Amino acid sequence: MTLDTRIETATEAMTKKANSCYYQVQDNEVDIFNFAMAHNLPILIKGPTGCGKTRFVEYMAQELERELVTVSCHDDLTAADLLGRHLVSSDGTFWQDGPLTRAVRNGGICYLDEIIEARKDTTVVLHSLSDHRRELYLERTGEVIKAHKDFMLVVSYNPGYQNMMKGLKPSTRQRFVAMSFDYPTPENEADILVHEAGISLELAKTLVKLGADIRRLSDIDLKAAVSTRLLIYAAKMMSSGCHAQMACLHCIIEPLTDETETNKALSTLVNAHF
Amino acid sequence: MEEVVGKIWDKWITSQVTTDHVDTKVHFSELQSQLLIYYRAMGGDGAKSIEMAEKRELNIHRSTMQKIAGSHKQFYVSWQDERSLRLPPYIALFTDKNLNQSLYFWLTALAAQLDKQRRSAQLNTHDTNNHDANNSGSVLNQNDWFNDNQQATCHLITEYAGLRRLYSTLAHEVLRLRSIEIDASLKKQPTSSLSHHLFKGDFFNKDNDLEQAEKAIATVLKIPGVINQYPPCSKDVLPVPLWLYPPIDVQGQGANFDPMDEKNNQKNSKRKPGELQEIEQRKKAQYADDNRKTDGLLVFQAEALMTWTEQINLDRCQSDEDDDADVTQIAKDLDIISLSRHRKANAARIRFDLDLPAAAQDDLRLGDGILLPEWDYKQQRLVDNACVLQTMISDDVEPMALSSEYQKLSQDILALFAHIGLTPNRRKAQPSGDEIDLDAWIDNFALPVKDSSKQAFYIDTQHQNRDVNCLILADLSLSTEAYIDDKQRVIDVIRDSLMVFSEALTRLGDDFALYGFSSVRSQHVRFHIFKNFDMPHSDHVRGRIARIEPGYYTRMGAAIRQSSQLLSQRGGANKVLLIITDGKPNDLDQYEGRYGIEDTRQAIVEAKLLGLVPYCVTIDKKGHDYLPYLFGSNGFAIVSNASELPRVLPKIYLHLTAVH
Repeated sequence: MTLDTRIETATEAMTKKANSCYYQVQDNEVDIFNFAMAHNLPILIKGPTGCGKTRFVEYMAQELERELVTVSCHDDLTAADLLGRHLVSSDGTFWQDGPLTRAVRNGGICYLDEIIEARKDTTVVLHSLSDHRRELYLERTGEVIKAHKDFMLVVSYNPGYQNMMKGLKPSTRQRFVAMSFDYPTPENEADILVHEAGISLELAKTLVKLGADIRRLSDIDLKAAVSTRLLIYAAKMMSSGCHAQMACLHCIIEPLTDETETNKALSTLVNAHF
Repeated sequence: MEEVVGKIWDKWITSQVTTDHVDTKVHFSELQSQLLIYYRAMGGDGAKSIEMAEKRELNIHRSTMQKIAGSHKQFYVSWQDERSLRLPPYIALFTDKNLNQSLYFWLTALAAQLDKQRRSAQLNTHDTNNHDANNSGSVLNQNDWFNDNQQATCHLITEYAGLRRLYSTLAHEVLRLRSIEIDASLKKQPTSSLSHHLFKGDFFNKDNDLEQAEKAIATVLKIPGVINQYPPCSKDVLPVPLWLYPPIDVQGQGANFDPMDEKNNQKNSKRKPGELQEIEQRKKAQYADDNRKTDGLLVFQAEALMTWTEQINLDRCQSDEDDDADVTQIAKDLDIISLSRHRKANAARIRFDLDLPAAAQDDLRLGDGILLPEWDYKQQRLVDNACVLQTMISDDVEPMALSSEYQKLSQDILALFAHIGLTPNRRKAQPSGDEIDLDAWIDNFALPVKDSSKQAFYIDTQHQNRDVNCLILADLSLSTEAYIDDKQRVIDVIRDSLMVFSEALTRLGDDFALYGFSSVRSQHVRFHIFKNFDMPHSDHVRGRIARIEPGYYTRMGAAIRQSSQLLSQRGGANKVLLIITDGKPNDLDQYEGRYGIEDTRQAIVEAKLLGLVPYCVTIDKKGHDYLPYLFGSNGFAIVSNASELPRVLPKIYLHLTAVH
């Protein structure tokens, strides 16, 4: 089977299947994912918080029928947390595989969410795995594991975070096929709200317009833009009868800012929309 | 007695004609910061600020009572130009306080919408005629005013359900108030007056025009967009509180005029409006034609002599801390200040000499200067070789050891730094680590039932590998000469901060460089080296820091660009560009105002693209107005108590570069 036909079959199969995990395709991200997968290339997804990165990976795993191992990276995540460690039992010590090692052995998509949050030494273990070698070296046991043919590495991060001590090393970045995600287009975002929260299209459009207005303030008055996720929260609360102003205050404004003045200004903005 | 009667009369007559509701008055200052955020959210230009408007003269038809009271000549109307949106200092129009407050937000939304309309119009005309496009924002005739406001209102009430409801309430109230006002002033004219009979035809005719105009306004307030032709009218209609007015008309506005170019002074009649920093409500600035110089023989009519209050040779280029209270007071009392271009006239008042120090006394110039670009926001492009940056170093400094007072301060700060751990940190009972933690193992071994999920038998040694390069850029402009309290000037605080901070950085082991900057127009941006990255921190460096003196202006963009260049050449992963300043970017030429803000912003954008982290520490309490636009919401810190800067600066730095 040629590469093209493989991709075509995969895409076809996808469109035919009934989706249990909803994802609104934005652009050509599904194709890129399929192309990268055909060559076992690792993928890097960049995008602001709550724009659908994780949902996309879940959707692709479901469509491709691969096991998905998600690791949410955090400050204290060490290499051992990914690779595994020796544990002691009544019979002596034994080796316990970490989530990454498990995926490398058995095949599946290993998704490292917000990789920028992990310590820098952690990301170095990915190097041999994310180039042509496709192997994982376990220092503690001295084992070298060749990656399963179905293993795929996907990492994501949010380039908006401006903590200077955090950032992907260029040497790490250059091992990935990279995609930039952004918030969906207004039409798509309204569709997502309708689908996820079951609100009317008209209400969804108003929420999306509110979102667009608030996003103008990101990086000036707000640290982060309002995410599609937050809009979905507000839409869900409204669908169950919560008053629009109240839903927006608690699902959008309060999560975004602690500043009283910004809070008041945004509340007035919400009133302008509803 | 006369005075008392006069006061009572004045109070009574004013109360008869005033329509303000004092109880429900809403002040601009209470809402300013909210309005700015709201303006940006609604799509207004992020570089603009919001300020109080001054009164503007409107030639409306006044009732007899109003004429007697001498009121209703001037009104607070809202307007905007390239630099800011001007809103009334207070609104007391309605009996409902919420409605007064809502009117502020309505005006802000409308201004943002008008701004969007203007920008899209500019974009459309940009290709055909650039010059016209630049001026289209300022030259508005009455018909444009009539139509633009309607168009913006239409857009807002169709797009925003909440604003639609608000507008209908506001419009209803405004129309009600207008009809009361019109009844009072138009219909109840004293018919028996002699003048009325004499000029009856003329009067009626004018009234008729005005009535038509008033009717048109009332109709479009009710249903915006139904009339697109404003009836010609010699008088002004009553102020429309729901609308924005055109910018104050200044003769020949829009041309680029370099105030320092004295030769052009004689020929160039086109000027841009000036401003006075000190006076909160900007005064209508009008350049008086004082270019004609007398040639010795003075012929004048005594009665035509201007008084001091009519023309002050006020130098707009001078420092904004003119301590002559009288001048300030007079300026506040005036409606129109005539600004003179002739600096000589008031030379005695200018607190500093603009001439640069003689070469012998100045710092040593290194090289011929570096040509740097500047961002022209009107053209939306970088203009190459727009300014010259001169690197300088104090060559004859006395080496200086750290004085005892600085030592004390440094000790405190070093204690803070020790707290975050410069020595390797050994953590016991870790799930992974370099050494085995026998204690933890034995503890676990002793337990009869062992929990395999709590197996932490290692000692983890964490090495602090900071890998930070920091370039500190200090603003040394003349404004830092201002006193913050009885003892200290801003520059003293900056000097202390640099002194202490450099000790802290040395101890921390971060590579750092110290620079200072000031400027005199684009041709002379002074970039002082105190310590570059390769110099070791030494008594010579301390000597140079001790010698810093304030001077000149703040051409921030050029200094940031040069610093970014230097910093980006460094290896290492983390590069911080720390800017310490006391105010907005400004310089003598067009750098003042929006040009300076936009250029600085662009320089910061470029720095970010180079992978640097620009961060601004300011002592300007009004920094909230412009710093978010320049550095982003998490790109700056305002130190409200300036004297605390030496202590706070290291803390800010640690927070910024905190290792996770």
